[in-house]
Amino acid sequence: MTRVLVPVAILEGESVSTGLPTLLEPVDVTVLGYHVLPEQTPPDQARLQYEDRAIAALDDLVAQFEAAGGTADHRLVFTHDREQTIDRIAEETAADASAITGVTGAVDRLLVSLTGDVAIDRITSFVAELVGDREIDVTLFLATDDEPGGQESLEAAAAALSEHDIDAGTELVADESPFEALVDAAADHDAIVVGERAPSLQSFLFGDAAERVAAESVGPVLVVRSLDERDGGAAL
Amino acid sequence: MGDTSPAGGTNIEGESPQGEPTVDTDEATITDDAELERTLGLSGGLAIGIGTMIGAGIFVFPGLAAGRAGPAAAASFLIGAIVALLVALPASELATAMPKSGGGYYYISRGLGTLPGAVVGLSLWFGLVFASAFYLVGFGYYAVDTLAELGVAVGDGLVIPLALLFGAAFTVLNVTGTENAAKLQNGIVALLLSILAAFLGYGGLDAIGLVGDPSTPEQFAPFGPLPVLSTAALVFTSYLGFAQVATVAGEMKDPGRNLPLSMVGSVLVVGVLYVVTILVATSAFSSEDLSTFGETAMVEVGRHYLGSIGAFAIVFGGLLATVSSANASVLSTSRAIYAVSKDALLPRRASRINLRYGTPHVALGMAGGPILVLVATGRVELLAEVASFLHLIMYGLICVALLALRRNEPAWYDPDFRVPGYPVVPVLGTVASFALIGFMQPVSQLTGIAIMIATAGWYAYYARDVNLKGAFQ
Repeated sequence: MTRVLVPVAILEGESVSTGLPTLLEPVDVTVLGYHVLPEQTPPDQARLQYEDRAIAALDDLVAQFEAAGGTADHRLVFTHDREQTIDRIAEETAADASAITGVTGAVDRLLVSLTGDVAIDRITSFVAELVGDREIDVTLFLATDDEPGGQESLEAAAAALSEHDIDAGTELVADESPFEALVDAAADHDAIVVGERAPSLQSFLFGDAAERVAAESVGPVLVVRSLDERDGGAAL
Repeated sequence: MGDTSPAGGTNIEGESPQGEPTVDTDEATITDDAELERTLGLSGGLAIGIGTMIGAGIFVFPGLAAGRAGPAAAASFLIGAIVALLVALPASELATAMPKSGGGYYYISRGLGTLPGAVVGLSLWFGLVFASAFYLVGFGYYAVDTLAELGVAVGDGLVIPLALLFGAAFTVLNVTGTENAAKLQNGIVALLLSILAAFLGYGGLDAIGLVGDPSTPEQFAPFGPLPVLSTAALVFTSYLGFAQVATVAGEMKDPGRNLPLSMVGSVLVVGVLYVVTILVATSAFSSEDLSTFGETAMVEVGRHYLGSIGAFAIVFGGLLATVSSANASVLSTSRAIYAVSKDALLPRRASRINLRYGTPHVALGMAGGPILVLVATGRVELLAEVASFLHLIMYGLICVALLALRRNEPAWYDPDFRVPGYPVVPVLGTVASFALIGFMQPVSQLTGIAIMIATAGWYAYYARDVNLKGAFQ
């Protein structure tokens, strides 16, 4: 079964947008409530004081996912390091993707970015699982300088989706900043699916690409994890 | 793992020790409903240990120690390192068996019972307060010297005001959250080690006569063996940091490996640096001269070997090192208060944290306030000795707790690291820790004993019915 991890800064009042539980209805959801503490505070000290409050909030979130017809469970982690926690829980739950909650209503149009060195087949099979037989328009998006190669990738991905009876539109962008182009394209869509990328100098300087997309587009972003690259160790 | 007999009883306000069964993995501590991420690696652990320790031994004590023991002060530091190692090994075993926040207090309260636990836990609070005050006064001397190097001669009258100012600043900074302080600490430690390696490398070559002018040989122990031992008692404050590693045991990844390596490794690293520093310092100047240079004698040693660049490097290093030691101790103090308050030995509200900054503001206040009072006294040697006294009591009892736990091993006792040379090492650790106390000045001993009696009195009044022994949660 496909599983999506939904990390939420639970004690900072972060919530999930109304459209997200509906979008994630076909997949299993693990809501990861985390609370990041400064290093002078032992995580256990925060647990002692705030565990009950956090669990109550997590129960409410799980109820939202279940009300939308999905299945969800939750984990609660007190940590000094958000990234490490999300990576560990994703690993332990064998999650296929993690969500950046964003803001959206009902999701009718889904933008799927294939830009960069990402695992396209994992992304398409995840999208197929997520969309299922629902009426959701899918646009496959790719920004590249290599137009023929990009077109080929897009068509292969569209073909893979059509095997699941999903008609996907395609959008190829050349000679433009991939990031800007994606954010522009996102304006016409309710949610975005991207592939996880290896950390790069750029992500070190400007923050994780998926989080920048989420911040610019406001809507939810689903990041499909790249298991193969992780196992292979030689990312990028 | 899992729990055994749960901690029980209530204190005078009706609060019970808090705890529930947990499972410890290499990456997290898992309780019934929540997980606590382990985020500190080996380098983080070493940085805490070295960062806490490196301030005093190199940047405050050389002048004082050489004045008391002559060149044999190096032997005093060596004795301190051996005692620290004899305790670090048993502490490592206990830490891997109980990788929890609280450090020495936790092992003693679980191994020996509530009364020794309460005395050690509350004394540790005061011990760290004395240590922090000592580091801050050291910082004050370096701050004045920094101004002097920059051409602003303000005199020693400003030492205490500057120390007070920074003590207050630390407390406020820690309450409002020090983002990335750990990374900064790692950087400071790396920078300090490079400065010292360069400086000691050159000074060491000079000391053995390979470069520079030959120095006049001096009698190694001009005052006899007794001052060597009493100086060891004084400078033992330089080795308090390894126990701070144990207080973050609950946050360390792969604790079975990283805890022993961090504790033993940081003692070895700073021990070697201290001994070499004293050898270099005493070969640059006679111990009489060093003594007159006082707390910042190393600046003159730096100037002797490398001119004003050397002096500046040492002044800069001294500022960094004393800041890092003081800050680490303030943070450890708030953790010590948390550990005892979780066990109902102090009111629960002492370990409240606020959601805005995520910091334990009450405990930090309980650290910062007394620290400032003690800084105002400006009594460097007394502050250092009382800090050592209270820590040495804890160290001795850590070894006793290990002996007690090993004699009838409870089912939950399953350390990843077992102390080599059992039972000789913990027995020697106990004897050495308590013996070192005997060589302190009477005023320090009396202050330490008074604090212990006060903490025992507090236990009798406040938490007599609390039972912690054998409760591993």
